[in-house]
Amino acid sequence: MTAMSAVPVKKAPALYLVEFGVCMTLYVAAILLREWLYDPNASRTLRVAVIAMPVVPVWLAFLAVVRHYRRIDELSKVILLKNIAVAAGFMACLVTSYALLVDAGLPTLSITWAWPTLAACWAATTAINEWRAR
Amino acid sequence: MKNLLRQLRNERGLTQADLADRLNVSRQTVNAIETERYDPSLPLAFAIARVFGLKIEEIFTADA
Repeated sequence: MTAMSAVPVKKAPALYLVEFGVCMTLYVAAILLREWLYDPNASRTLRVAVIAMPVVPVWLAFLAVVRHYRRIDELSKVILLKNIAVAAGFMACLVTSYALLVDAGLPTLSITWAWPTLAACWAATTAINEWRAR
Repeated sequence: MKNLLRQLRNERGLTQADLADRLNVSRQTVNAIETERYDPSLPLAFAIARVFGLKIEEIFTADA
């Protein structure tokens, strides 16, 4: 009716924390492991596979968010989507502003900062909206 | 949209958590509906009516 999952809505936050936590743990482990496993003398295929190891937990984390969305109730879905939409808009402005400032001499940033920046914006909008709704 | 959710819930001795469990929604959603900060979807409104054994229009009324 409201959620699209057989899991009771009240179990959704705990399940999400577990699933997302596992993904982040695997991500950190993959980041550390690839430094240890990387062999510059190995075949190109093996080198790429080792370097790309963190990609799998990143996609698993995305799936964890999707599964969480399917478990939560209608109001929680609205709140989640509103928060991420505002975060994405804020981040778009932030990225554009910084890109323009790079022309003024600011250092260019690696694209690996994209997701942490969006995550920080998402966390901030969620926290601000929760505070406003109290 | 105005509603009698809090009154009906109290008459039946239910907490917000009890009602949330019966509707499979969060307690936050029940609170938001009771304080008229959120209007439920049609499926949720039907589920609420079923829980209380009433018609939707006996629970929810449009703002004047």
